[in-house]
Amino acid sequence: MRNNYQSRKALSRGDLLLGLVGIYLIYLLYASGFFTAEAWADFNRRFYQNFVKDRRYMMLVDGLKATIFMTSGATLIGLIVGLILSVIRVAHKGGAKIPVLNWLAESYITVLRGTPAMVQLLIWNFTIFASARDLNTQYIAILAFGLNSGAYIAEIFRGGIEAIDPGQMEAARSLGLSYGTSMKRVVLPQALRNIIPMLFNEFIALLKETSVAGYIGIDDLTRAGQNIQALTLEHSQPLVMVAIIYLVIVMLLTKFVSKLEQWLSRGRRR
Amino acid sequence: MKKFLALVLVLILASSAFAAENPAKLKTTSQLKTEKLAAQRGTVGQYIAEDLLGDKKGDLLTTYEKYVDAVSALLQGKVRAIIMDEMPAKRFIASVEGLAIMDEALSEENYAMGFKKGNAELVAQVNKALAEIKADGTLDKIFAKYYETFLAGDSSSIKPEDIDFNKGAKGGKLVVGTEAGFAPYELKVGSGFIGIDVEMCAAIAKKLDKELVIINMNFDALPMAVSTNKVDLICAGITVTEERKENMDFSDNYVVGAKQVALVKADDYEK
Repeated sequence: MRNNYQSRKALSRGDLLLGLVGIYLIYLLYASGFFTAEAWADFNRRFYQNFVKDRRYMMLVDGLKATIFMTSGATLIGLIVGLILSVIRVAHKGGAKIPVLNWLAESYITVLRGTPAMVQLLIWNFTIFASARDLNTQYIAILAFGLNSGAYIAEIFRGGIEAIDPGQMEAARSLGLSYGTSMKRVVLPQALRNIIPMLFNEFIALLKETSVAGYIGIDDLTRAGQNIQALTLEHSQPLVMVAIIYLVIVMLLTKFVSKLEQWLSRGRRR
Repeated sequence: MKKFLALVLVLILASSAFAAENPAKLKTTSQLKTEKLAAQRGTVGQYIAEDLLGDKKGDLLTTYEKYVDAVSALLQGKVRAIIMDEMPAKRFIASVEGLAIMDEALSEENYAMGFKKGNAELVAQVNKALAEIKADGTLDKIFAKYYETFLAGDSSSIKPEDIDFNKGAKGGKLVVGTEAGFAPYELKVGSGFIGIDVEMCAAIAKKLDKELVIINMNFDALPMAVSTNKVDLICAGITVTEERKENMDFSDNYVVGAKQVALVKADDYEK
């Protein structure tokens, strides 16, 4: 986090560079006649065509609904799968005799993290669920993205727990607490501080990942923008609008995560 | 500070280099053999462009998922021509300024609906229904309706609500896969679909006493969808080719002699 000393420092080279590039881009816009009245009228006309006419903004709203539905559903599945996998992995390391389960969990994580989510989505839809015709495709997408995300979430849980100093567990055990109680009362509360922000990052990544769902026939937010493009034959505005919607959601989530981080680290010695 | 100035200079030089104009205009389609071309992925336009370019296709051919992307690339000068079907090309001309179609057609193709290999029963049913709507003039009416509106640049007068999808039919569902970015054949409007293919499939579904369900996916995913039974048939202005016949069964043709043309920039074309 940026401290007071840094923010008082004079403008850095990076800031200057960014400023110059910005000025250059504005100059380019100016040179291409973007700031003239005609250009504005044209911009407004195209905006009307793309989003207002025939209530076309509803296509984006419906797309956003599908995107949020898929992301939330997939996160839920991911959390459940991730929790189970990480419990197996951590318990195995903690001395439980479950080599087969641990091997299965490891293989699952290797395979699902080692292949692109889009390829997995296509395999789920066209190979595994090939005969499921009356099933809403969005459920298949939720399953595909959820199982994929589960592998990442498992590693987030495991990493968060293993980042806690083993001394904490040893101290708790030496005070006579059982393994389970030490985990629940000493290790996990500390691990959560690391885990929760990373979980939200995974949620953000997943939100953007669902943009490939158009491939299996789901009109998500990205696809809704492309549908408007096909309708109005205009390239830039629908895509930029879609990008802005994603960006606003991600920025809101990021803001929330940083507030959450502050809240979680309250009372922590610095 | 010198570094920043150098960077700005490089940016200015680079942008002026990209803006350089190519002086020689296009006249005949034979010139396209050495030009940068675009096509939609998996379409006949792509195969024709590949034939035109021969060994150079790796360097000169760009395939796009959506026609809108290809048209943007054309207007920005990233490609010199798009190889595509004449009807959708005409719709682009009617709605986007600065485009032209080269007079000389590259080939003529027939459109048909695609089925899973060996699904003879459904092919026969659809062919029978297709013959009926051809005979009673329904199909001609559908074509005429879209020629009058879409190709004149009017994309709002046809509403998806007006198309009868035969909801709640007793004979079950007829699931049709398409790529709804290919007006006037298929287009997504709001939450519904319009287009020649859509209305034709609706008329066929009615004859079969089935409810029409449209699934909108990417064009290059359509053969996969029909071969895995995700959809009953695919109808997306699909050209019948010998190669495709090896992996798919086709209905009778519903468009004969659809031209494949080169869409170019108007100021880059000299008739």
